[in-house]
Amino acid sequence: MIKILIVEQSYLVRKGLIQILEQFPEVTQIEVLGSHMGLNEVLHHFVPDILIINTSIEAALPDRSFENEVVDPSKIIHLITTPLPPGSPSNQISIYDSKLTITEKLTLCVRPLGMDDSEEPENSEELTSREKLILKHVALGQTNKEIASKLFISTHTVISHRKNITRKLDIKSVSGLTVYAILNGIIKMDDIS
Amino acid sequence: MRIHANMKMTDLVHLNFEILAVIQRLQIPFGFKDKTITSVCQEAAIDVDFFLQLAQWFNERDNFPQEELIQGDPQWLITYLQHTHRCYLHYQIPRIEKEIELLEELTDIPDQSARLMIQFFREYIREFTEHIEDEECRTFPYITALSNVIKGEISLADFKQKYPDYTIDKYLDNHSDLEEKIFDLQSILLKYLPPPSNNCHFTNLLLEIYRLGKDLKDHTLLEENVLIPKVRRMEAELKNRESN
Repeated sequence: MIKILIVEQSYLVRKGLIQILEQFPEVTQIEVLGSHMGLNEVLHHFVPDILIINTSIEAALPDRSFENEVVDPSKIIHLITTPLPPGSPSNQISIYDSKLTITEKLTLCVRPLGMDDSEEPENSEELTSREKLILKHVALGQTNKEIASKLFISTHTVISHRKNITRKLDIKSVSGLTVYAILNGIIKMDDIS
Repeated sequence: MRIHANMKMTDLVHLNFEILAVIQRLQIPFGFKDKTITSVCQEAAIDVDFFLQLAQWFNERDNFPQEELIQGDPQWLITYLQHTHRCYLHYQIPRIEKEIELLEELTDIPDQSARLMIQFFREYIREFTEHIEDEECRTFPYITALSNVIKGEISLADFKQKYPDYTIDKYLDNHSDLEEKIFDLQSILLKYLPPPSNNCHFTNLLLEIYRLGKDLKDHTLLEENVLIPKVRRMEAELKNRESN
């Protein structure tokens, strides 16, 4: 389950990259942008695991704050329109690189991300008892802060639990989580007014 | 096949029936006979380029004509988005609502679960309606006025009086994510609801939800990657003029 965002102005380059990326079974979603316009909005709501971006678009960005905000800087691949020497870093791809080189570089980036999923046991989607407890409070409509003080943990911990819950269940919204909690007997219908 | 202005409109629909959505949302009347795209669009007073850009994008998803759409008149995009809203509110969403209500009649789904789904979806409809009303009552008129100032059709003073401090960023502040709950609904129905035996009805409900989710994604793409950058460009131009 890897999501990739390609930000590249050339149609030919985009097509070529998609062609190569589609060979990776781990890659489930590819989104494409042809310029920096709308980039921040897309980053916020698509939340890619890997960002492949042309360096000339990067240079045109008003500020580079997007890197720390949404995408881990180590998960950004820079697309370069000049040739690169052999042995160039794997987070730089030149449009002159061979298909083999590009595939190898992408493998280094994609595989470690895909590993997390495949190494976990099959029932990893099951919520832990701690996560169920957090879910119960979320479903009852409490904020992260309220949950943190009730359970004597930091808000940061609550947020990280919530991220895991959302990832495991594929449910993001509070009302969606509430429905799940009721369907699974974690809270009762009467508990919510 | 390459899509071009002189091909027949019917051939275009045969090529990819998803383009029907574009035709419907631009209110282009059917009964195409052997007319070309150009003449059908001209008769319906639709910008041929705008139609072609959307049709090409519907036909080749990973080639979004962002720059071309931004260059165009924002009024076309607003018209398109407004008709899309209508289609959601008056057709797609009520259909899904009805299908969810029918879940209650399925004996293998506990009444409580069915009711939960109905509540969840009605809450969504409420948020959805608010979101769309905000766009139609505040944001779209603002964009139209902004575009008219740039074209010199209304005066800067009039515009400033009407919108002393509204900018597109204000809209983005309350811009809720319309897709999120639709995807949650997919997960709940697909993964967590007890399986109903009436597969036909249930599958149909899922299909409709998937279609809406996909459509909303397109809608967000048009707003975030075309409309908003376009407005930012116009706002910058206006600022530029004011300082000169």
